[in-house]
Amino acid sequence: MNNNKFSKESILAAANNLRWEVDENLHDTLMESIYENATSIANKVVKYPDKKQAFSFDRTLDKILTSKYLGFPIMFLILAVVFWITIVGANYPSVFISSVLVDSLHPILKNFADSFMPWWLSGVLIDGAYLAMAWVVSVMLPPMAIFFPVYTLLEDFGYLPRVAFNMDPLYKKVGAHGRQALTMAMGFGCNAAGVVATRVIDSPRERLIAIITNNFSLCNGRWPTQILIATIFIGAAAPAYLAGIASAAAVVFIAVLGITFSLVVSWGLSKTLLKGEASAFSLELPPYRPPRLLQTLYTSLIDRTIFVLWRAVVFALPAGMVIWLVANITIDGISLADHFINWVNPAAFIFGLNGVIILAYIIAIPANEIVIPTVLMLTVANLGLTNLGGGSGVMFEFDSVADTAQILHAGGWTLLTGINLMLFSLLHNPCSTTIYTIYKETKSVKWTVISTFLPILLGLTVTFFVTQLWRIFLS
Amino acid sequence: MNSLEMSNCANCPVHNMGNLKKLGIDMSSFDFVVALAGNPNTGKSTVFNYLTGLRQHTGNWPGKTVTRAEGGFEFNDKKFKLVDLPGTYSLLSTSTDEEVARDFILFGQPDVTVIVVDATRLERNLNLVLQILEITNRAVLCLNLMDEARRNGIKVDDRTLSKELGIPVVVTSARQGEGMNELLKMIFEVASGEYICRPYRIKSNSSELNDAIEKLSSEIEKEFSGLPNLRWVALRLLEGDQSIINAIRSGDLGNLKRQELAGIESE
Amino acid sequence: MNEPIILLIIGIAIIIFLIMLFYPAKGIIAKVKKSKIASKKILIEDALKYLYNCEYHQIVCTLNGVAGNLSISADDATDIISKLESLGLVNAKKNELILTPDGRSYALRVIRVHRLWEKYLADETSVSENEWHLKAEEIEHTLTPEQANKLAAQIGNPVFDPHGDPIPSAKGDLPVRRGKLLTEMQAGEFANIIHIEDEPYAIYSQIIAEGLYAGMQIRMLLVTDKRIKFIANGEECVLSPLIAKNITVGIVKLEKQIGENFKTLSSLKVGEKGTILGIAKSLRGQQRRRLMDLGIVPGTKIEAELESLTSDPIAYRVRGTIVALRKQQTDRIFIKNSEVEN
Repeated sequence: MNNNKFSKESILAAANNLRWEVDENLHDTLMESIYENATSIANKVVKYPDKKQAFSFDRTLDKILTSKYLGFPIMFLILAVVFWITIVGANYPSVFISSVLVDSLHPILKNFADSFMPWWLSGVLIDGAYLAMAWVVSVMLPPMAIFFPVYTLLEDFGYLPRVAFNMDPLYKKVGAHGRQALTMAMGFGCNAAGVVATRVIDSPRERLIAIITNNFSLCNGRWPTQILIATIFIGAAAPAYLAGIASAAAVVFIAVLGITFSLVVSWGLSKTLLKGEASAFSLELPPYRPPRLLQTLYTSLIDRTIFVLWRAVVFALPAGMVIWLVANITIDGISLADHFINWVNPAAFIFGLNGVIILAYIIAIPANEIVIPTVLMLTVANLGLTNLGGGSGVMFEFDSVADTAQILHAGGWTLLTGINLMLFSLLHNPCSTTIYTIYKETKSVKWTVISTFLPILLGLTVTFFVTQLWRIFLS
Repeated sequence: MNSLEMSNCANCPVHNMGNLKKLGIDMSSFDFVVALAGNPNTGKSTVFNYLTGLRQHTGNWPGKTVTRAEGGFEFNDKKFKLVDLPGTYSLLSTSTDEEVARDFILFGQPDVTVIVVDATRLERNLNLVLQILEITNRAVLCLNLMDEARRNGIKVDDRTLSKELGIPVVVTSARQGEGMNELLKMIFEVASGEYICRPYRIKSNSSELNDAIEKLSSEIEKEFSGLPNLRWVALRLLEGDQSIINAIRSGDLGNLKRQELAGIESE
Repeated sequence: MNEPIILLIIGIAIIIFLIMLFYPAKGIIAKVKKSKIASKKILIEDALKYLYNCEYHQIVCTLNGVAGNLSISADDATDIISKLESLGLVNAKKNELILTPDGRSYALRVIRVHRLWEKYLADETSVSENEWHLKAEEIEHTLTPEQANKLAAQIGNPVFDPHGDPIPSAKGDLPVRRGKLLTEMQAGEFANIIHIEDEPYAIYSQIIAEGLYAGMQIRMLLVTDKRIKFIANGEECVLSPLIAKNITVGIVKLEKQIGENFKTLSSLKVGEKGTILGIAKSLRGQQRRRLMDLGIVPGTKIEAELESLTSDPIAYRVRGTIVALRKQQTDRIFIKNSEVEN
């Protein structure tokens, strides 16, 4: 046995000695040999066309999409069109679904549950869990069912690597990796997926930067918040015929602001915590492939929409219960929620937010998707607007954007609150899934904590200054 | 299944149960394990989806599949486990993806490794193919995206390619489902030992490289004789591959030969 | 409405304070960190490292040398040395300091971490070259052997650091300094003298009289069994084989001679074609491997295809694929024009 062990170690020692002898060129020599072999085989079996250049269509398209002057405008145009389609298209189905799930189904379920359950159980289950779920489905499903397939078509077509190519000069300037653009693009779908996608970045320093800044890509859980608030506060401030375009522009602005923040934070990190120069960037630009429409619709529906929706529903159910409970358990005649809201309000005011938003963000840590339902429900409970919902602590009926607007205005919301909520929704801690993913990918508590709290700090700083400047100059 | 049956069985699977389990693959109720390897963006995920019926999302950017996916399919009454390896350009670097891919092919000893290549960029793809053929001698080349190659007037002589590489070459367009039955057939033939591969081995002009590999190979052979991929193991050792070092220390490397020998005996 | 203004001022003040606190290199925290005095452990390890280096280069090592190398006073150096002696790491004989086997393996452990870390910084991070050594000087005192082994495994158990010095193995093995006798050299080779045998004295004094010393670079001109002719420090020098046998040299491998007719890939304009001749040594580790994975090896034809906003990166057509590269890389890839083939 000992002898055996000795001979094994002697293999390793022999290897080490050989490595000291053959020097560092070994890998180079090997790769050259492999490619020599590959070339000689390829020469025997591959014939290229004589006259017409291969991939002439790809070449022409690439010249346009990555052109010096058109590259960026085309990129923003595509982004804006995608949002515009989503905002305009999602409105009608949203109203329809909520009228079915909330207006029609909820009273039936409630009556049925009341017939044999104690009031508090039917409250927790129907007014809490069910309504939270119904709300999430009606708000989330339509924009997702439009946004994801359109986005997936772009992805399948091969546009994303071109975006990375266009954006690389910016990333290089801030000391980050060009492929960070790819991972950010993934983050627009889901930050957890974006964090996993950073594996395409070889260098650990640049990879950490990409992980920390991925949260600045608005994820699907935050799109509905942005779209709704933009519609209520920005769209409403514009003339009716421009409302759709104005809201789309506001959302694009927030998305671009997110990209800007990711660049600025990347720069800050590579000057301080993650010092270093921009390293190499090698990215293959794959050939364009005509996307298959039906297949894409199907896969994006199964793969993303349903998956994300399911996650949202799973988190919404317990959150709905919690909301109902904090709104209905009272101390000294005031609900827990109101205690907290009143206590936080003065501090929140400094940041141009309010206690309801802060509480909503605490309850919504598991999933960003439920921020807006929670905000609305708490506002109703806080104001005691019983006529609008089924009672305090109930996620009330949402049958049109106008109703939501009415509630928010009643809750003392202004354009400033709306803008700050949009900013805070962009700049706050990642959701629990993303935090967990960051920990899994970095295996470091330190970086997980930094990725969690850095965005909150930034968010509070930004809303703070926006609020003070707004109050000084605009009111 | 007792050991007597094992040694007489001509189409017994050769995969390494113990190592597969370590790699997190549950092989109960499967007859063969098939690894799916290839460059990024060669339609690997499409092939995977077609064979397994799963709808894994296929994006058009390099490095889309960053985690390993698994699925199953049935052909000729045999059950196959399909493992989709991360798409890599090479197997010689220190990155996690490549480690996952090369360790699976080496230690998992899949019954067949399907290498998906892009017919429009064959030369670059051959880099990975030649590396895989150093590790395993049970492989099928899936010459994918032939529709694109035809559209661009690129012709690939699949018969000569098969002769050169010593493994079956199947022309496919996975997006259209073209050639997929033929692929299944070849996977079955290689897995069951009907088709014996004679894989191409890399030739190098560098005497320094050849000498070093030879010296180390003979050292390794003293301890682990009959290793089918001796050259690869020596090469990886010269590049300081930790999983090979560990396998030598623990003696696990020795397990690889028995399994492969069973396959060779049946030839 | 004074309140927002007051808040604004407070907010700005807090941010300024935070910047002063955390500012890299000049911030308060950075200064506090820097002013921490080098601990005794660091001095001990640095002394061991120095002693090992003397031994490796076969130089006699003295107390003054230690003091000079660590930039401490002679008294402090005496302190350190007596500490090392009491730990059984060093033997002091007369004027000479000699490492004990324990001292040697301790020194090798520190050197292993140092060189591994340099390799790690060079290959895996984008830390600039002039910081490798300084950072490694810090980390060598903090990493445990286990951590060092883990790091080594992660970066492919390297055997050389980026300066070409061998990295000791985990067990403390280091290759014998590679070298051959002057008589075994071939004409045209470059080498460094690494050792001059001092016995017998008669021959040694002849060599010294020629002005030859260890570390000198030479270029061989002629080797016959009658005489050995080479250039040392610009002067021609002729020795008889009998004498030359007492000189050991290390062959210097020059980067592959690429020839006159080359330029960098970055000088290729969109639409132009070229053939790759080589990749500079300064593209290391993962970066270098990635390039080669993508098919960028000598002999490959390459064409500049797409330009981004700032002409950096540029996308190139290589082996039927399009690959985007930054200028920082293409500056270090050498090509020759192949317009003739167009």
